[in-house]
Amino acid sequence: MNTLLLAAVVVVPGGLVPAMVLLGRGDAVERLVGLELMGAVVVLALMIVAIGFGQPQYLIAPVVLVVLSWAGTLVFTRLLGGRP
Amino acid sequence: MSVAGAVLVWLGVAVTVLSAVAAVVLESIIPRLHALTPVTVLAGPLVGVGLALRSGWSLTTATLLLVTLLLAVTGPALGAVTARLADRDAHDA
Repeated sequence: MNTLLLAAVVVVPGGLVPAMVLLGRGDAVERLVGLELMGAVVVLALMIVAIGFGQPQYLIAPVVLVVLSWAGTLVFTRLLGGRP
Repeated sequence: MSVAGAVLVWLGVAVTVLSAVAAVVLESIIPRLHALTPVTVLAGPLVGVGLALRSGWSLTTATLLLVTLLLAVTGPALGAVTARLADRDAHDA
Protein backbone atom coordinates (compact mmCIF):
# COMPACT_ATOMS: atom_id res chain seq x y z
CA MET A 1 0.00 0.00 0.00
CA ASN A 2 1.52 3.32 -1.03
CA THR A 3 1.30 6.50 1.01
CA LEU A 4 -1.60 7.89 -1.03
CA LEU A 5 -3.79 4.87 -0.44
CA LEU A 6 -2.91 5.08 3.24
CA ALA A 7 -4.04 8.72 3.19
CA ALA A 8 -7.31 7.62 1.59
CA VAL A 9 -7.76 4.98 4.30
CA VAL A 10 -7.41 7.76 6.90
CA VAL A 11 -9.55 10.43 5.23
CA VAL A 12 -12.53 8.23 4.36
CA PRO A 13 -13.48 7.16 7.90
CA GLY A 14 -12.01 10.32 9.46
CA GLY A 15 -14.22 12.53 7.30
CA LEU A 16 -17.25 10.40 6.56
CA VAL A 17 -18.03 9.21 10.08
CA PRO A 18 -18.36 12.80 11.41
CA ALA A 19 -20.39 13.65 8.31
CA MET A 20 -22.78 10.77 9.01
CA VAL A 21 -23.08 11.90 12.62
CA LEU A 22 -24.01 15.39 11.40
CA LEU A 23 -26.48 13.87 8.93
CA GLY A 24 -28.22 11.99 11.71
CA ARG A 25 -28.98 14.70 14.23
CA GLY A 26 -30.56 18.14 14.40
CA ASP A 27 -33.08 19.79 12.10
CA ALA A 28 -33.01 19.77 8.31
CA VAL A 29 -30.63 22.72 7.91
CA GLU A 30 -28.19 21.21 10.41
CA ARG A 31 -28.25 17.92 8.50
CA LEU A 32 -27.53 19.85 5.31
CA VAL A 33 -24.15 20.77 6.82
CA GLY A 34 -23.38 17.04 7.04
CA LEU A 35 -24.25 16.65 3.37
CA GLU A 36 -21.86 19.46 2.42
CA LEU A 37 -19.08 17.87 4.45
CA MET A 38 -19.72 14.48 2.91
CA GLY A 39 -19.53 15.87 -0.61
CA ALA A 40 -16.22 17.62 0.01
CA VAL A 41 -14.67 14.59 1.73
CA VAL A 42 -15.72 12.20 -1.04
CA VAL A 43 -14.28 14.53 -3.70
CA LEU A 44 -10.93 14.61 -1.88
CA ALA A 45 -10.97 10.84 -1.33
CA LEU A 46 -11.73 10.15 -5.01
CA MET A 47 -8.83 12.39 -6.08
CA ILE A 48 -6.44 10.60 -3.75
CA VAL A 49 -7.64 7.12 -4.70
CA ALA A 50 -7.48 7.81 -8.46
CA ILE A 51 -3.84 8.96 -8.26
CA GLY A 52 -2.97 6.35 -5.60
CA PHE A 53 -4.06 3.52 -7.88
CA GLY A 54 -2.31 5.11 -10.87
CA GLN A 55 -5.62 5.52 -12.77
CA PRO A 56 -5.88 9.27 -13.51
CA GLN A 57 -8.72 8.70 -15.98
CA TYR A 58 -10.95 8.15 -12.96
CA LEU A 59 -10.48 11.83 -12.03
CA ILE A 60 -13.59 12.50 -14.08
CA ALA A 61 -15.58 11.19 -11.10
CA PRO A 62 -14.54 13.99 -8.68
CA VAL A 63 -14.93 16.55 -11.47
CA VAL A 64 -18.54 15.49 -11.95
CA LEU A 65 -19.19 15.05 -8.23
CA VAL A 66 -17.99 18.50 -7.21
CA VAL A 67 -20.41 20.11 -9.68
CA LEU A 68 -23.34 17.83 -8.84
CA SER A 69 -22.74 18.17 -5.10
CA TRP A 70 -22.81 21.95 -5.42
CA ALA A 71 -26.00 21.96 -7.50
CA GLY A 72 -27.67 19.34 -5.31
CA THR A 73 -27.00 21.25 -2.12
CA LEU A 74 -28.32 24.43 -3.70
CA VAL A 75 -31.52 22.57 -4.58
CA PHE A 76 -31.85 21.46 -0.96
CA THR A 77 -31.40 25.02 0.29
CA ARG A 78 -34.05 26.18 -2.16
CA LEU A 79 -36.50 23.48 -1.02
CA LEU A 80 -35.82 24.12 2.66
CA GLY A 81 -36.17 27.88 2.22
CA GLY A 82 -39.94 27.58 2.02
CA ARG A 83 -40.51 30.73 -0.02
CA PRO A 84 -38.96 32.10 -3.22
CA MET B 1 8.97 16.46 -5.44
CA SER B 2 7.27 13.21 -4.53
CA VAL B 3 8.05 13.67 -0.83
CA ALA B 4 6.75 17.26 -0.88
CA GLY B 5 3.59 16.06 -2.59
CA ALA B 6 3.03 13.37 0.02
CA VAL B 7 3.55 15.88 2.83
CA LEU B 8 0.99 18.25 1.30
CA VAL B 9 -1.53 15.43 0.83
CA TRP B 10 -1.11 14.33 4.44
CA LEU B 11 -1.50 17.93 5.64
CA GLY B 12 -4.74 18.12 3.67
CA VAL B 13 -5.93 14.85 5.20
CA ALA B 14 -5.14 16.17 8.69
CA VAL B 15 -7.03 19.41 8.04
CA THR B 16 -10.01 17.44 6.71
CA VAL B 17 -10.22 15.11 9.69
CA LEU B 18 -9.72 17.90 12.25
CA SER B 19 -12.37 20.07 10.61
CA ALA B 20 -14.85 17.20 10.45
CA VAL B 21 -14.34 16.36 14.11
CA ALA B 22 -14.63 20.05 15.05
CA ALA B 23 -17.92 20.28 13.14
CA VAL B 24 -19.31 17.41 15.21
CA VAL B 25 -18.08 18.84 18.51
CA LEU B 26 -19.43 22.36 17.94
CA GLU B 27 -23.09 22.77 18.86
CA SER B 28 -24.49 25.65 16.79
CA ILE B 29 -24.86 25.64 13.02
CA ILE B 30 -22.84 28.79 12.25
CA PRO B 31 -19.70 27.56 14.09
CA ARG B 32 -20.15 24.24 12.30
CA LEU B 33 -20.12 26.01 8.95
CA HIS B 34 -16.99 27.87 10.01
CA ALA B 35 -15.38 24.56 10.93
CA LEU B 36 -16.21 23.09 7.51
CA THR B 37 -14.74 25.94 5.47
CA PRO B 38 -11.10 24.72 5.79
CA VAL B 39 -12.07 21.43 4.11
CA THR B 40 -12.80 23.17 0.83
CA VAL B 41 -10.47 26.21 0.89
CA LEU B 42 -7.43 24.70 2.65
CA ALA B 43 -7.51 20.90 2.55
CA GLY B 44 -8.68 20.85 -1.07
CA PRO B 45 -5.77 22.97 -2.38
CA LEU B 46 -3.30 21.08 -0.17
CA VAL B 47 -4.41 17.72 -1.55
CA GLY B 48 -4.74 19.01 -5.11
CA VAL B 49 -1.31 20.65 -5.22
CA GLY B 50 0.25 17.66 -3.45
CA LEU B 51 -1.16 15.25 -6.02
CA ALA B 52 -0.18 17.64 -8.84
CA LEU B 53 3.43 17.71 -7.60
CA ARG B 54 3.52 13.93 -7.81
CA SER B 55 1.98 13.86 -11.29
CA GLY B 56 4.16 16.45 -13.01
CA TRP B 57 2.92 18.68 -15.84
CA SER B 58 0.21 16.77 -17.68
CA LEU B 59 -3.51 16.64 -18.34
CA THR B 60 -3.83 14.86 -14.99
CA THR B 61 -2.42 17.91 -13.23
CA ALA B 62 -4.84 20.18 -15.07
CA THR B 63 -7.76 17.97 -13.99
CA LEU B 64 -6.57 17.95 -10.39
CA LEU B 65 -6.26 21.72 -10.33
CA LEU B 66 -9.69 22.06 -11.95
CA VAL B 67 -11.28 19.96 -9.20
CA THR B 68 -9.38 21.94 -6.58
CA LEU B 69 -10.53 25.24 -8.05
CA LEU B 70 -14.16 24.13 -8.30
CA LEU B 71 -14.11 22.87 -4.72
CA ALA B 72 -12.56 26.10 -3.41
CA VAL B 73 -15.09 28.25 -5.28
CA THR B 74 -18.27 26.26 -4.58
CA GLY B 75 -17.58 25.38 -0.93
CA PRO B 76 -17.75 28.90 0.57
CA ALA B 77 -20.73 29.71 -1.66
CA LEU B 78 -22.62 26.72 -0.25
CA GLY B 79 -21.62 27.74 3.28
CA ALA B 80 -22.96 31.24 2.73
CA VAL B 81 -26.25 29.98 1.33
CA THR B 82 -26.67 27.51 4.21
CA ALA B 83 -25.87 30.21 6.78
CA ARG B 84 -28.45 32.51 5.20
CA LEU B 85 -31.01 29.70 5.36
CA ALA B 86 -30.19 29.04 9.02
CA ASP B 87 -30.47 32.74 9.79
CA ARG B 88 -33.87 32.94 8.11
CA ASP B 89 -35.06 29.91 10.12
CA ALA B 90 -33.83 31.52 13.35
CA HIS B 91 -35.77 34.71 12.60
CA ASP B 92 -38.93 32.82 11.60
CA ALA B 93 -38.87 30.70 14.78
